[in-house]
Amino acid sequence: MPDLWQEAMDHAVVLARKSGEIVREALQNEMKVMCKSSSVDLVTKTDQKVEQLIIASVKDKFPTHSFIGEESVAAGQPCILSDNPTWIVDPVDGTTNFVHGYPFIAISIGFAADKQLEFGVVYSCLEDKMYTARKGKGAFCNGQPLQVSDQTDINQSIIATEFGSNRDPEVVDKIFSSMRKVLCLPIHGMRGAGTAATNMCLVAAGSAEAYYEIGIHCWDIAAGAVIVSEAGGVLMDVGGGPLDMMSRRVVAANNKTIAQRLIKEIEAYPATRDDAPIDSKE
Amino acid sequence: MTSTEIKCWGECMDVAVQIAHKAGKVVQEAVKQEKRVSSKSTPTDLVTEADQQVEDLIISTLREKFPSHRFIGEESSAAGEKCILTDEPTWIIDPIDGTCNFVHSFPMVAVSIGFAVKKELEFGVIYHCFDGTLYTARRGHGAFCNGTPIQVSKEKDISKALILTEIGAKRDPATLEIFSGNMLKLLSAPAHGVRIIGSSTLALCHIATGAAEAYYQYGLHCWDIAAAAVIIREAGGCVIDTSGEPWDGCFR
Repeated sequence: MPDLWQEAMDHAVVLARKSGEIVREALQNEMKVMCKSSSVDLVTKTDQKVEQLIIASVKDKFPTHSFIGEESVAAGQPCILSDNPTWIVDPVDGTTNFVHGYPFIAISIGFAADKQLEFGVVYSCLEDKMYTARKGKGAFCNGQPLQVSDQTDINQSIIATEFGSNRDPEVVDKIFSSMRKVLCLPIHGMRGAGTAATNMCLVAAGSAEAYYEIGIHCWDIAAGAVIVSEAGGVLMDVGGGPLDMMSRRVVAANNKTIAQRLIKEIEAYPATRDDAPIDSKE
Repeated sequence: MTSTEIKCWGECMDVAVQIAHKAGKVVQEAVKQEKRVSSKSTPTDLVTEADQQVEDLIISTLREKFPSHRFIGEESSAAGEKCILTDEPTWIIDPIDGTCNFVHSFPMVAVSIGFAVKKELEFGVIYHCFDGTLYTARRGHGAFCNGTPIQVSKEKDISKALILTEIGAKRDPATLEIFSGNMLKLLSAPAHGVRIIGSSTLALCHIATGAAEAYYQYGLHCWDIAAAAVIIREAGGCVIDTSGEPWDGCFR
């Protein structure tokens, strides 16, 4: 039986690669940096240009498909996942890194149909690493199969997380408290590439045992979730339940043992859901 | 420096580049094999047989070529060799920087070779074992990444800075309290962000290329920073102590 979404996935890979070229080129030029929700929540014209390229191309090839994109949502588009085939895109994941030329910058393209994630493409464009995963068909980096780590002892783990762009003192306090608790387990080490998509790919590749964060958006994790899952990993909410893509919370781990042990140390704090009504958002 | 010395340190650096490549290839192969891991000062201060093998390879090769030179290496030091910098030409070596990353196949691992004469750092060579990037600098001759000149960022405003650091091997609550307090102050500046990659030498190279503005750490050893210090200075940056005083090479 032909794969209904293979063509879409192939196109996603083409788009991710093309977007990567735009990002690499933009790094050679001076860039204008703007702020969104705070002075450390950055966006550039490249973010917008790449998203527009992807939307236009998808509309052209798949005119009935829906689209959730970081910059479109920032411009006021609703962020609701329907049953319709939907592209969930972060055009430049790691914009802060991009502004600095720091080498982890990813284009993240996830795809869902009937509210189920079907494939994920993450292109780490400075490393030239194309991560892909199709539900039921495994995860790959540049064509090589990916497999999560087989570690079950949290004391032997590397955990990835980020500090995010929320500088509210109460939030920052919780972030640091979680970090200290996790480090004190003890774990081997904590890492942060500065992009959720890349952190998830590191889990899928077996380089880190888990990644957790509160404050991310659905477009940061949609693609990475398929990649981690297809590499044999698990996705969960920080509270222990199943991953809720719109909840702003994620735990991606190599297995349930590590995930459940990690979750015990994470101090949650509220974050407005991605699918909350627009007037209730920060 | 005499012209003979200038020529000699240039030759030393060429050898350093060759051995860094060779050692890097050994690390690339070793990362795919099963690793025998033990710990040093704390359960999270890891060392493997590969660290020791790579350091032996580097030192034995260099000793053969330069029998009168001295060596400070991470694993030799762990084995009890003194870590004293004299006026003699001295190689300062971290055979695998990012051992924890190496153990996990986390793709940030480097071979770091620094060189000092009369207690002055003369050159530094750092080889990124996963992607083959080579960072080099010779005092007075600029800094390079794969042969292309590199320069630090021009940013002067801390609220537009990307800061790098490492946690180190200590996991006691008091140390972690200070560690997170420092990071919190920087994030509240508010700096653009803080990143941790698990290899101090590669993080320092990101400073030299301008990809981040600053790096700070407590608990570094001289072999972690000797090579990178030359690279950063030659890229236009500065290296100081966390107190703001001039940096003392072996002072942690």
